[in-house]
Amino acid sequence: GKEKASQLFSEGCAFDPTAFAEHLLSFMGLNRLEEEEENDELQNGGGVDGFLPKDAWHRLARRTECCFKTAPTFHYMMGSFYAEPPPPKQKSD
Amino acid sequence: SSQVQRGLEKLTPAQVDQKTAEVVQYILVKDQKKIPVRRAELVKNIVKDYRTVYPEIIKRAKRIFEQVFGLKLVEIDPKNHMYILVNNLDTPAAAASPVKCPSNPKTGLLFVILSVIFMKGGIVRENQIWNTLKKLRVDPGQRHEEFGDVRKVVTEEFVRQRYLEYTRIPHTEPIEYEFRWGHRADMEVSKAQILEFMGQLHEQDPRSWSQQYREAHTGSSSSQN
Amino acid sequence: MSRQLGDHHRRFLQTMMTIGITSEKEAKTLYQHCCETHKTQCAPDRLEEFIEAINSRLQPMFMQIRKGMSEEDGQQHYALVNTAETDITRMTSDYADNELELFRKIMDLIVSSENGKASSTDILNSADMMTSKKLKKGETQQLLLRLVQDKWLCESQGEYNLSTRCIIEMEPYIRAMYQDQVKVCHICHNMAFQCQICENPSCGIKIHNPCVARYFKGRMEPHCPACDDFWPHEIPEVRELHSLSKR
Ligand SMILES: [Zn+2]
Ligand SMILES: [Zn+2]
Repeated sequence: GKEKASQLFSEGCAFDPTAFAEHLLSFMGLNRLEEEEENDELQNGGGVDGFLPKDAWHRLARRTECCFKTAPTFHYMMGSFYAEPPPPKQKSD
Repeated sequence: SSQVQRGLEKLTPAQVDQKTAEVVQYILVKDQKKIPVRRAELVKNIVKDYRTVYPEIIKRAKRIFEQVFGLKLVEIDPKNHMYILVNNLDTPAAAASPVKCPSNPKTGLLFVILSVIFMKGGIVRENQIWNTLKKLRVDPGQRHEEFGDVRKVVTEEFVRQRYLEYTRIPHTEPIEYEFRWGHRADMEVSKAQILEFMGQLHEQDPRSWSQQYREAHTGSSSSQN
Repeated sequence: MSRQLGDHHRRFLQTMMTIGITSEKEAKTLYQHCCETHKTQCAPDRLEEFIEAINSRLQPMFMQIRKGMSEEDGQQHYALVNTAETDITRMTSDYADNELELFRKIMDLIVSSENGKASSTDILNSADMMTSKKLKKGETQQLLLRLVQDKWLCESQGEYNLSTRCIIEMEPYIRAMYQDQVKVCHICHNMAFQCQICENPSCGIKIHNPCVARYFKGRMEPHCPACDDFWPHEIPEVRELHSLSKR
């Protein structure tokens, strides 16, 4: 896109990453502890209040899987090492 | 071409099938970590003496991925000749499956980064990404419970997998970097689906981001939907 | 002859790649789901044929969807397995070389054990006797966790046994590697790790716990099917899951 930069935001609404992050936190199940304003300081990236549940990122992953056309991967154990009988039990050193 | 044709005449069909199977197997093994396969590596490690019939073998491998696995073997980065596997089915098998499929939390992380880049017009300074991630309790300076060394995951792993491009901005002091979508993201990720979820999150019509909406639906890049 | 596959076959295979193993019951549900998604006729009693069609195209690629029994509950399962051992298959990067060495030592322990299990203490001890780069205690524990997560081992109260997925995929390997040690079930003739053993020293046949349950079900006095001695072990209950009984 050459003229993309100049055209961008000349129409339609702007994208606000901060609002996006806020919405994501809610979606991931942020447990907001108490009043936000108190701790919400820029130095901490505004990330001190509340905590995310353990499965927060799994929750987001499950919802956003449909955005990805990722190929599933094949995993196996047989064939990942040489098929040699276990060496007779003796130590080299 | 005729050279390939002559090469094939010297081989039995079974030999060609066997070599094709080895190529398929090699690509599946490499895909375990989502690292693209370089053609040079493929030829050196697997194809070996069959290099004259390489075009025929890769054609057959493509057909097998499509017909048996529902996957597409695509060449990205035509300059360096690299291959990746992309899903050919409309919805990923895991998404709607009645049996429990494990989810990968890195998908969520990747989604956040790719979304910000896309919504911001295609290029984003790295600080913008780190700031957004920090709000999500992911700090590149700290070990994360789920992702470990986040900076490494984002600037090395995602880059090697070709989900992201991470390049130095020229003439900046101190040095600054910026992010773009990588070739794999172009092939794998649906901008329309991103906007769909974006709309849901903001309780807003996806069409209200008109620029991005147009990009997602005219297919100005190679991604589908 | 290999057959043309449809998207329903491909979706089934892709799901198997993602989960590695599934019970027969789940496989039937999944089969139905794949047919519905791609608007294909589904014959619920034709799962075997459906999988056979996939296998006919997979086997030339050294892969297979293989059926086997769970030693835990006696149910049939399907696992997607690799069937070759070559320079290419050894390029897999899921586990490092020393991690694979320890995994083989764990298999040694399990195969040579009475009860088909290895304790975490014994595993930690063999980690101390590795020839490749030694694993520290913490690393060994991390590895064990990962092996359980990836469905190669099962853990219960600090003891580890081979998972159904592992037994199905590794069967040819284990039979070849541990010829003299491997036990075989007298009833189903599959390898047996967790099983009951006839106490008559001149007999000593082995039977899987679920096979014991099925074989002795409804018999008043259990006797060994080989030597007719009294069968002194506790007879477990048959664990029949829902509609899954016909076969
Ligand atoms: Zn048995
Ligand atoms: Zn007996």
